Amino acid sequence: MAETAEPLVLPDIGHEEETSPKDSLEPGYLVICWDDPVNLMDYVTHVFQTVFGWNKPKAEFHMLQVHNQGKSVLTRESLEKAEHYVHQLQKYSLHATMERD
Amino acid sequence: MNLLEFDETNFVFELGKREKRLLLEVLKLYPLIPSTYHKPSKSLDETEVAATQKLLQEALAERKQESKKQLQSMLNEVSRFKETKSGYRFILSPQQADWLLEVINDIRVGSWILLGQPDEKQGTTFDLTETNARYLWAMEVCGYFQFALLKAFELRSSG
Repeated sequence: MAETAEPLVLPDIGHEEETSPKDSLEPGYLVICWDDPVNLMDYVTHVFQTVFGWNKPKAEFHMLQVHNQGKSVLTRESLEKAEHYVHQLQKYSLHATMERD
Repeated sequence: MNLLEFDETNFVFELGKREKRLLLEVLKLYPLIPSTYHKPSKSLDETEVAATQKLLQEALAERKQESKKQLQSMLNEVSRFKETKSGYRFILSPQQADWLLEVINDIRVGSWILLGQPDEKQGTTFDLTETNARYLWAMEVCGYFQFALLKAFELRSSG
């Protein structure tokens, strides 16, 4: 049976500098989808279901809000999560942005 | 393009010979959306979102480069299109169908951008020319294939 060797490198127990500012972790950013005349309504519903894991009625509700009111607030998140969702929605070519709440 | 059958792992579409030519032709346009088109925010200060914008643009560019390669490889697979008497059986997994929707929508939205972003609600139109006519054609063709793919997802979710 092989013996467990002593670790040659000791863990660094120094205090790590904080890398994220406090407000980037707070849910102060809105992810908004804006209306445009090119994305198909059923496609927008499909993307909302895929990106957020929503059921069809919820996805359709937000899609219709985009269509009828020009925009829909999809979620309120920390900066990092808002960036993630905006990237996912833009990957599908939807007109999505994040705005401070 | 009609959905013939589906199960947990695949959608099987029936594709006419002309439809296949149309699909392959329109996919040659990918990618079409300019890398500077998407902005991370409308209200946040530009300096505040500069890093985010750069990251988002890089991530999207990388994704499109990867998708372009994936597209070439997918279309060259012999088993992807199985010839039948009337055309082809076109087989896609749900993940591939979702990815193809994303690719096709890039071409549709990119075509619209290249046409000058016409908007009936805003009363903005465009002049059809020999140069931009292909983008109007691409928008229509992409819409056709998107409807077929979305209908397949709809049928799958309703059981």
